[in-house]
Amino acid sequence: MTQHLPALLFSIPLLAAISMPMVGLRHRGWCRPMALAAVCAMSVTAVVSLVVVLNSGEIRYSFGGWAPPIGIEWVADGLASVMMVAICLIASICLIYGGAVSPLPAGGRVVLYYTLILLLLSGLTGAVFAGDLFNVFVFLEVVTLSVAALVGMAGGKALVFAFRYLILASLGATFYLLGVTFFYAATGTLNMADLAERVPALLDSKAVIGGLVFMFIGLGIKMALMPLHGWLPDAYSYAPDAVSPLLSSLVTKVALLAWARILYWAVGVGSELETTQILRLVWVSGALASVVGAFLALTQRDVKRIFAYGGVSHIGLILIGVGQGNQTGLAGAMFYLINDAVMQATLFVVAGAAIHQYGVKTMEDLGRLHGRAPWWMTGALIVVAMSMIGIPPTGGFFGKWYIILSALRSGNYLAVGAVMLSTLLTLAYFLRLWVRVFSGDQVSPSSTQRVEAPFALRVCVGTLCLSIIALGLCSDLIVRVLLDTITPLGL
Amino acid sequence: MFEFIRATLQRPNYIAFVVLFLWGLYIAITHHNLVKKLIGMYLVQTSVFFFLVSFSVKQGATVPILMSTTDKVHAEAYANPLPHALTLTGIVVQVATLGVALALVTAIYQKYDSLDEDEILKRLE
Repeated sequence: MTQHLPALLFSIPLLAAISMPMVGLRHRGWCRPMALAAVCAMSVTAVVSLVVVLNSGEIRYSFGGWAPPIGIEWVADGLASVMMVAICLIASICLIYGGAVSPLPAGGRVVLYYTLILLLLSGLTGAVFAGDLFNVFVFLEVVTLSVAALVGMAGGKALVFAFRYLILASLGATFYLLGVTFFYAATGTLNMADLAERVPALLDSKAVIGGLVFMFIGLGIKMALMPLHGWLPDAYSYAPDAVSPLLSSLVTKVALLAWARILYWAVGVGSELETTQILRLVWVSGALASVVGAFLALTQRDVKRIFAYGGVSHIGLILIGVGQGNQTGLAGAMFYLINDAVMQATLFVVAGAAIHQYGVKTMEDLGRLHGRAPWWMTGALIVVAMSMIGIPPTGGFFGKWYIILSALRSGNYLAVGAVMLSTLLTLAYFLRLWVRVFSGDQVSPSSTQRVEAPFALRVCVGTLCLSIIALGLCSDLIVRVLLDTITPLGL
Repeated sequence: MFEFIRATLQRPNYIAFVVLFLWGLYIAITHHNLVKKLIGMYLVQTSVFFFLVSFSVKQGATVPILMSTTDKVHAEAYANPLPHALTLTGIVVQVATLGVALALVTAIYQKYDSLDEDEILKRLE
């Protein structure tokens, strides 16, 4: 029974998404309970599958009973299971937040909203578990399409940016597909485990190198890597408040996870990867993204855009870890990836609450929070800022710690410098935010109309902040699980 | 150099792929009309499918269906079905992308009464 868990995890949101319009168009009130039930069921399944994987090793699921090199294979190892738990946690929080706090578009759009969220979740699940290159392409496209529709739901300006995102992401997917085609032409297989046996001997082949570069460009667009990030700030800042936490935390991260999987699970077994320059390309572009992204965040006025650029810079940080080519780097990068997903969700939840309740949109409006915002909102902003900058005991510190450690281990001082510089710039843009908040004019109590925050919002913010701290406190445990997954690669 | 040109000319399908791919990319990047951008994207995707199908062609090969279970299987007599299966899936993805993109274009046109990107961006402000 346990070997069916990955497929079960995928079919829950898919079936719920399919049945949502059938039920929802007749009984609109049922949509939300149905979606919540589906996400809860997913979370339980994800936790169960994590326990099973930790106890009895990875689950390899072959669809239709066809053996892997011919059939389609899904791999639920430690990394995928931990990632899946994080995805389910963030998704359930975003769903609670999305329904309770910000006004959803009225009418039949409610049905659409929940359907698309569930479709997005099934796409993310597929992309995390996929054990062959072509499935990664298909599921990333499912993710892209649902994201474009979700962003476009806001109407108005968001439509234009959703269209831009769709065009860019589809071009990215096509580049990725071209890379996959090159790989297939060179090796005759698409299964990652099978590729790992055949590619190392072909690492000097132009088809393989070209394929790798095309894949990197394609996934780079999807993960909003620095020069290819153009779609992200606009799409995220104009997306409906109910969906931007979900998008910012998960969509780019899954593309990055897919790239790490291709790099280490499909191509580079052991140190052969050193012979190609691809790792250098990865960490150099990561370093560039981490510094320039943080710098761009410093120059923004819109609060949501500041956070969006912060996300761009963190993608760079993760890539620095991925590009070091040692165990610490990869495990640290994957740990930071989970952290970053939680941090981005928190940032956008808090930003959405501030927009919704206090009308804060730009830096100038931040003063309105002074003396008005409840203690938990300020506290959440402090916790997430600590984690973004990297102050213990939050998760962000430990992620950065492992990434710096791995860069030092491979003697890569330029990468260490980039991490430090981006940390300083992150500190700078958060300081700029704080100065605005605290220098705001203190409002007299009489003029303040008391805005009562919904209970659900407090639960969301509280859970997210607690999980940021819990990730820090349990970092050793999680990193050990990740290391166990990575060790067989023989880095 | 001469060798390289001769080797390239022997594979006209690759030349066609490169031309189509770059052409599509050029259209998608330079044109300001949203529908034309979409056409460019479509061309890029189609060129990759063309490439996928064209390198799987085998001369004198037939469809990979075994007519008898007792005869010895000659792998070289059959075409590789996998690239075609991939292309089929890819086309499905392409159609879905095109559908969502056209829906977005329609919504944009209804809202801003224009398909020109500059015009729309001017009206956004």
